Amino acid sequence: MIAVDGVSKTYGRFGRRVPALAGVTLRVAKGETLGLIGPNGAGKTTLLTCLLGFLRPDSGTIAVGGLAPDDLAVRARTGYLPERLGFDRELPGRAFLAHHWRLAGGDPARANEEVEKAADRVGLDREALSRRLRGYSRGMLQRIGLAQALLRDPDLLFLDEPASGTDPRGVALVRERILEAKARGATIVLNSHQLPEVERVCDRIVFIDGGRLTKSETLSGTSPTRRRALVRIPVSRLAEGVTALSAESLVAESEPEGFLRFAVGSDEEMARAIRALALANVPVYEARVSAELEELFETPS
Amino acid sequence: MIRRFVRQKFGSAGLVVALAVLGLVQLLPLAAQGAEAGFAMASWAIFVIAAGSVSRDISSGALQMILSRPIRRTQYLFGRYFGILLSYALFLAATSLLAFLVFHLVVLRTPRAGAADFSMAGLAAAAGQAFLTGAFQSAILLFFSTFLPGIADLLGLLLLYLVLNLPQFSQSSFLRNAGERARENMLPAVEWERILRGDDVPAAATGRWIFALTVYLVLAAIVFSRRELPYGQD
Repeated sequence: MIAVDGVSKTYGRFGRRVPALAGVTLRVAKGETLGLIGPNGAGKTTLLTCLLGFLRPDSGTIAVGGLAPDDLAVRARTGYLPERLGFDRELPGRAFLAHHWRLAGGDPARANEEVEKAADRVGLDREALSRRLRGYSRGMLQRIGLAQALLRDPDLLFLDEPASGTDPRGVALVRERILEAKARGATIVLNSHQLPEVERVCDRIVFIDGGRLTKSETLSGTSPTRRRALVRIPVSRLAEGVTALSAESLVAESEPEGFLRFAVGSDEEMARAIRALALANVPVYEARVSAELEELFETPS
Repeated sequence: MIRRFVRQKFGSAGLVVALAVLGLVQLLPLAAQGAEAGFAMASWAIFVIAAGSVSRDISSGALQMILSRPIRRTQYLFGRYFGILLSYALFLAATSLLAFLVFHLVVLRTPRAGAADFSMAGLAAAAGQAFLTGAFQSAILLFFSTFLPGIADLLGLLLLYLVLNLPQFSQSSFLRNAGERARENMLPAVEWERILRGDDVPAAATGRWIFALTVYLVLAAIVFSRRELPYGQD
């Protein structure tokens, strides 16, 4: 669906050029949800902006469904939520969404009905729709931004920090909408620092650092590359827990707070680990599987 | 795009106040003298309306959101241009109409010499002159706005006028002639008011005006189509 080959991009001119992307090669399959993660200034937004065709790579190519990213046929299937919400602050929410509905090629006669549907999907009421955007809170702006990105159910979604500035309900709502889009087969590229959310919705993540794609991890499917189990047991029983797991060929590290941490390949393997602990009479207070994406920020590339 | 521009402009209280002030300042001489007064003050409205028309959308990030939709950049750009023209036309029409009403409701009822000279046709011709001059200036502003930040397009326009007018003060006849040629071609002056009144005027100046306007718009389209649109921080 999206093919990025050897893309490099530098900013600046007259000898003061700063590299933003250096030879990035990437594939995003149709229907896949890809997370872009990495530290600030790593090049994530630059990559996203190149994928949208707003920046031209200095070298390398980008194709979306075999077409240039700024091809109108691609745009007709694209939904985009930028990180910086540059809205027409003087417009009421309803007019803003209706404008984007028409820009997206929607039937003007259905604009009102579709705008209300879109607002409902992000939890914005009718009263909010009639207010000017300049009176919106950050969270409300984020919601209406998401609503505009989802207009006409696009096949391709580019979301840049979609839950930024939203409350926990807003975060959950963003997640629900992403999962909904994913369920109908949309291809999604998500740039976010909210790692737990990335983990919950993405099929795969790529870690970008210094303009380079340094790691790629599969989070879902039959062969995830990054699944860590975290099991909390009594501190006094840590040694017993390690022994019980080693009998199941699971190599666990114990942590002083009472945690056992080990790699698990599948849900069945996790079940075996819990059973082994239970059979050894080691109480399990808490057990979860996580990709522990924050670890990627700590380990050198 | 045109509708968005008009809503954007007339939705802003500051801009409406600025236009209202310009309109009111223009109203009194218009009502008192009719078309003779011209639209000198009202002409400033084009700068209020057109300044930063593209660059503000770029810096706010609104443009990226709009251009992620299936519309051509030229469609957006000319939408802005026609939005400027429509807004300016509305402003001139409102000012003219108010002047007409003030003339009939106030001036005509006050004994005053020359009041009967007020003619709607003359006023329309003066408004037409202001409109077409504004259309030309806004094409230049649009061009500068495609690559200069904020309202630096106004500075660009000012510099263009300065650069093209400075040579006329030169001692060198070559520079004076070159400056005059450049001015004639890049900032052609056309007496639209006379044309609109039906007088005969040389067609060459009108031709140069149309050509220069087209050049500014085509240049704006070329620069804007090639422009990259970065935003935010990584």
